[in-house]
Amino acid sequence: MEKPKIIDNTIMIPSSQDFLPDVDVFLEGVLRGLGVDESTIADIAISVSELVNNAIFHGNKTARDKTIKVEINKVNGSVKISVTDEGGGFDLNDVENPIDDDNLLKEVGRGLFIVQSLMDSVDKNTTDTGTTVVITKDI
Amino acid sequence: MKLNDRVQDDIVILEPKGKIMGGPDASLLHDKLHDYIEQDMKKVIIDLSKVDWMNSTGLGILISGLTTIRNNNGELKLANLTKKVQSLLTITKLVSVFEAYDSIDEAIKSFK
Repeated sequence: MEKPKIIDNTIMIPSSQDFLPDVDVFLEGVLRGLGVDESTIADIAISVSELVNNAIFHGNKTARDKTIKVEINKVNGSVKISVTDEGGGFDLNDVENPIDDDNLLKEVGRGLFIVQSLMDSVDKNTTDTGTTVVITKDI
Repeated sequence: MKLNDRVQDDIVILEPKGKIMGGPDASLLHDKLHDYIEQDMKKVIIDLSKVDWMNSTGLGILISGLTTIRNNNGELKLANLTKKVQSLLTITKLVSVFEAYDSIDEAIKSFK
């Protein structure tokens, strides 16, 4: 796949940061259509950008021929978003605490912490074909 | 993301606009910041009034600029934080790292 592909409530992109804006435009459009307020849209957009960046670099190791899929669903009073890559996964808890004094000036390592801070739930599932992180946010 | 930059007296003022989420756009801010530091500019203000939001990549760029300029005996300050960026700095405790001002004028005065 050389360019983003949208099917209903799902966007698929090659593993490149070039397509982060495509994901953002798609995501924010769907969320506005669901009536989500702008502040919550920003929190979700920040979180999804973190997960897509993780998928590009840590999941698919920037292999452009590998795909990242972002799927958005409304479930009762929440928005549920899954971000799937083709990698072997990671441990959600195996991350240094970025707010420890020793880590404050590190340039990286805040992504998952931010997602966990902004979202109501963060779950991960790894299978033979890849890893899916699912976030939910009450709306 | 777009980026405007200007020099007022000996102070560099960078004004990114949009969302800082990673990729080529974010590199623009990083590269411009480090270009000025290489020119031995020691006073930098980043005006964040037009930044809708940023993620950890944006925060990493700010930290990279801050530490590099401090190592050159300079200072980087922030101005006009939007509510969303302020919230992110609070969550990540980076409010304790950056000097932030409510206006460009206040940030400029703080250098004098």
